[in-house]
Amino acid sequence: MTNDPDNAIELRVDKYIFRFPNKLRYSEDGLWVKQEGALLRIGMSDFVQQRSGDIAFAIPTPAGTALDAGDEIAAVETVKVNLSLPSPVKGKIVEVNSLLQESPEWINQEPYGKGWIVVVQPECLGRDVGRLIPAKAYSELARQHAEAELST
Amino acid sequence: MSRTATYHTTVHWKGEYLGRILMGNGPEMDFSAPPDAHGHSGVLTPEDAFVAAVNTCIMMMFLWSAERFKLNLLSYACRAEGTKRVELNKTESFTQVALHPHIVVRSDEVGREGTLKRLRRALDSAVKYSLIANSIKSNLILKPEIEIVP
Repeated sequence: MTNDPDNAIELRVDKYIFRFPNKLRYSEDGLWVKQEGALLRIGMSDFVQQRSGDIAFAIPTPAGTALDAGDEIAAVETVKVNLSLPSPVKGKIVEVNSLLQESPEWINQEPYGKGWIVVVQPECLGRDVGRLIPAKAYSELARQHAEAELST
Repeated sequence: MSRTATYHTTVHWKGEYLGRILMGNGPEMDFSAPPDAHGHSGVLTPEDAFVAAVNTCIMMMFLWSAERFKLNLLSYACRAEGTKRVELNKTESFTQVALHPHIVVRSDEVGREGTLKRLRRALDSAVKYSLIANSIKSNLILKPEIEIVP
């Protein structure tokens, strides 16, 4: 594992390389969260997108929807699996990435860029962000998941 | 997942350049070398089996990915051609396998362009996730002929 503090942690497991930008925080379910003022932009981490496979459809929960932590922020269908992405925070969806309707593959190609999924206005910003984990801690979690999967 | 699975075939010599193969999934058939390599005509050959493995695996994976991409698939047919190279030291290998799938899908609510884009992604995924395509060292060339019908 390498860590460029200005950039990202790079986790290598077997033949796979996963990147986790340091400026983001992460849920234990593998979603990244970027604080933008009072709002939180959310997407799938590189680990989760690689592990899930080529994305065929990504259907974000509509803007305006109130969420509890754990409620679905998007339904994602890949060539291999169906996923329900759980919201890492309580709040309201204020924006969804309309690009994903035509081009869900952006999640595979740019998970931390054009592949973002929703923007949420959290009910309690400090509390919710405080529950998320930094890149280093999430990369360790991802390593454990990856190694467990590779050893079966 | 990095799980493993095993598959079996058993062969028996029947005399001359002729054998009998029992496939793990049930079928049994005679096999030989190609006639130009002292074999018999009209039976399975290793060369045909290799090209067939690629062709059948890509088709099965495409049927799966077409379903995942919610394509309205009307027909699929594919001619595959393996190119053998004979080296200076007389060893041989398949350097490439070219696939020529003819695919017909019905255009859906995303329109012709949207359907075409989804079909191309489904084809890419079929190759990416094909067990056999991932297991060979020959170049795989895909030359699809696609029809989108209303």
